[in-house]
Amino acid sequence: MSGAALPAAGAPGARAAAHSWREAPIQYATALLTLVLVAAPLLPVLYQSVVDRPLYDAGRQLTLGNFVRLARTEGFGLVLWNTFAFAALTTLIAQVLGTLAAVLFGRTDLPAARLLGELFLWPIYLSALVLSFGWYTVYGPSGYLTMLWNAVFEEPFWDLYTLPGMAAIAGVSLAPVAYIYCMSSATITDPSLEEAARVAGAGTFRTLSRITLPLLLPAIAYSAVLNFTVALELLAIPLVFGEPAGITVLTTFLYTQGVAGIRPDHGLAATAAALMLAVVCLLVWLQGRLLGNTRRFVTLGGKATRPRPFRLGRLRWPLFALAALYILATVVAPIGVLVLRAFASFLSPMVPLSEVLSLANFAQLFAEPIYSRAVWNSLVVSAVGGALATALIAMIAVIVHRSDFRFREPLHYAALFPRAVPGVVAGIGFFYAIALMPGLGEIRNTIWVLVIAFTMRFIPTGFGAVAPMLLQVSPDLDRAARVQGADWWTTCRRVVLPLMRPALLACYTILFISFFKEYTTAIFLFAPGSEVIGTALLHLWIQGEAGLVAALAAIQVGVIAACVAAARAAFGVRLHG
Amino acid sequence: MAELVIENLTKRFGEVLAVDSVSLHVAEGEFVTLLGPSGCGKSTTLAAIAGLDRPDGGRIRIGGTVCFDDRSGTFLPPEARNCGLVFQSYALWPHMTVFDNVVFPLTLRKVPAAERRRRVEEVLALVEMEAYADRYPHQLSGGQQQRVALARTLVYRPAILLLDEPLSNLDAKLRDRARAWLAELRTRLGLTTIYVTHDQIEALSLSDRIVVMNRGRVAQVGPPQEVYERPADPFVADFIGTTNFLPGRVVETADARALVALGDGQRVAVRTARPPAPGARVTLAYRPEQIRIAEAGEMPAGAGSVVAARVASRAYVGGRWQLGLDLGGSPLRLETAAPPAGDRLRLWLPADGAILFQGSTDVSLV
Repeated sequence: MSGAALPAAGAPGARAAAHSWREAPIQYATALLTLVLVAAPLLPVLYQSVVDRPLYDAGRQLTLGNFVRLARTEGFGLVLWNTFAFAALTTLIAQVLGTLAAVLFGRTDLPAARLLGELFLWPIYLSALVLSFGWYTVYGPSGYLTMLWNAVFEEPFWDLYTLPGMAAIAGVSLAPVAYIYCMSSATITDPSLEEAARVAGAGTFRTLSRITLPLLLPAIAYSAVLNFTVALELLAIPLVFGEPAGITVLTTFLYTQGVAGIRPDHGLAATAAALMLAVVCLLVWLQGRLLGNTRRFVTLGGKATRPRPFRLGRLRWPLFALAALYILATVVAPIGVLVLRAFASFLSPMVPLSEVLSLANFAQLFAEPIYSRAVWNSLVVSAVGGALATALIAMIAVIVHRSDFRFREPLHYAALFPRAVPGVVAGIGFFYAIALMPGLGEIRNTIWVLVIAFTMRFIPTGFGAVAPMLLQVSPDLDRAARVQGADWWTTCRRVVLPLMRPALLACYTILFISFFKEYTTAIFLFAPGSEVIGTALLHLWIQGEAGLVAALAAIQVGVIAACVAAARAAFGVRLHG
Repeated sequence: MAELVIENLTKRFGEVLAVDSVSLHVAEGEFVTLLGPSGCGKSTTLAAIAGLDRPDGGRIRIGGTVCFDDRSGTFLPPEARNCGLVFQSYALWPHMTVFDNVVFPLTLRKVPAAERRRRVEEVLALVEMEAYADRYPHQLSGGQQQRVALARTLVYRPAILLLDEPLSNLDAKLRDRARAWLAELRTRLGLTTIYVTHDQIEALSLSDRIVVMNRGRVAQVGPPQEVYERPADPFVADFIGTTNFLPGRVVETADARALVALGDGQRVAVRTARPPAPGARVTLAYRPEQIRIAEAGEMPAGAGSVVAARVASRAYVGGRWQLGLDLGGSPLRLETAAPPAGDRLRLWLPADGAILFQGSTDVSLV
């Protein structure tokens, strides 16, 4: 040991105390901002639903007349029935496909199971709008496969312009959610439970049906409620396939009543939105209850050892062919053909591909200032808005989990509440809020209103990416800084936030992708000059510009694919679950 | 350096009283150990001193600074107390090098850059880690991490030093070395230190005074030797050192001596300052090293008693045997070099050194 004397006494701790005043303003400001952000779209919707004329008109009177009017609106009962049937059918398809995929790709010796599993996930990275167009290009009336089928057989057996057709598209795009929940449940589940059944003499399929599937039930149930909620909120598929066929669901009802109509009936729209909000709140509450049960169930599990895969035996290759066909038909074909269509002037099985390949669609797209602006706006909203939202989420997370702020529980609740706010409701709500607030006129026609609305929508998503990692950082690390004289804010800045860097990067990537593909809220809020890809896609779609739609969608697919690939390569994050 | 005064400190977690009106006065430069089983309130007390937990009642003063007072509502945040705390987990920041970890408290105190460097080098030399300044914590062994954690605390010369089980994450051999090193450092620095541990050897070898805690209360305060030799109650006797308890009843007393009848009627003489009245229920406590197998023909004398016991179990533990005995229905543990031949043997119990507690004690509770 060296003979060095202890360094001289440092400055008294009172110096550090001088900073302690910073804590409260930062915490209150973050909490207030979150509260305003979450309440901004909700209060106007709820208020509009109980007054007798548009919010911006003078002489408003409180009334329940809107509810009566809505109940008496012709066809509203059918709208509710369609909504329920669509959501229920979608959920059924998604759960069956997701569970089968989880067992097949996750628990058996199926060839190329990992690759198939990865491809199976792709629909959740893309917006339902792009998927709809993809399905249209392949299976629509003049779709590639439809024409091929017509040439060989008579009529195709499918029709996307029906409730089952729409539910098939939605079910396929939501099946990854069920798949993810089942997969994470299967990895936690104790493999010895299955092994015990095999040792007791149960064969592969008996073990699967009697042990594995029942153990997956909590995951299936939870993701079913989740998918049902998402299906209720879905706008793109009913808009693209339901509206032309006269099948209206709640979201398209809100869209036509709230913005697209010639004379929007705000009372009716707000009332329907309030109704939807109530239903979704109930479902989200149910999710919370089920998740509580799931956790209780999962604690039965043992170590996360890799369970031994089931042997499929003679069924191995037939099942592989079936799974590959499914992936080809629902993932590869819709996305591939849509991208192909973007690089072709015309796409038909009768015309050789080499004759139609061209970049004309892209040239035409970028010749129009609206569309290049939409692409640019989307990039700015995602890159800048994603960063701002990540900063806000990081602040919320450290306050909720790493401070003794008095209102941290209410803040936590407020931050997670947007899960219960459907995109269409948030869109209508912000639309009203901006019309109502005098100071907000400035941002009305800019992309910043989109940034605000998207941030509100995706706080829970980002929070879900950040909070688990924060909870893994030992509280001793910030306590050590506090004891040494750092106030709360310095501790956050120098210790907690730097340690959370991987989680914040993951959060940013997830928000970038979510903002980039978001369209539901945007179609209520955009104005000339603040178009984004989602709104431009719908605009082009209505004009029947199939080639331009494909080109714009291809750009979205390309950017998101690059993002996912970069994120995986850079820090190996999982962008789901 | 400063004194620490704690008065009637109380902390509740829901219904549970984690710390129950604990009072303690630690003099300047004193090394005091809080010793007790897990859940006894020692770590909660430490967290209250550091300001990491807000207590429910009482007062804490460090030097001239009142850190907590429930009457005036004073509660200083941890950063205003100038304490040094070494965590059980060391809590080194994984994203900073050793140098950055140690310089952090000096940066906070706005020490000029040149002096910062000098002081970090000095303190790293003190803990013999000067060669590792550019390493990251995960590149260090447990013992090295512990030294860096200590350096990070010493570098700003805190008013008092708080150590929360700093040796418990080291393996047994390293722990012995680290303990010797810590003892040497402590003599040299002379910092007011509160040391929390559940390890009696650490407590006995390092402390000026030991505070034994049990269920949120202070069971005994005193220098190590006093706590070991004159435990205030059966809990302390059992927690510090292994102790054999023999319940019995006083049958006869004479000046500073008592004759106690055990459960099976055998009689044992003990020396005690204030013998209880005949008929009183008592518990005798013996350290294993006080008891030995009686030599052949040895008879009870003034210095001790001889009793018969039954051998219930025996185990060879390397170089010696550990015997489990049954004496009048009470279990007794004893170590001996040679095992007895049969399952009966005679024990010699000294009259001096045995501790007599009033009342019968349910030993299984402690």
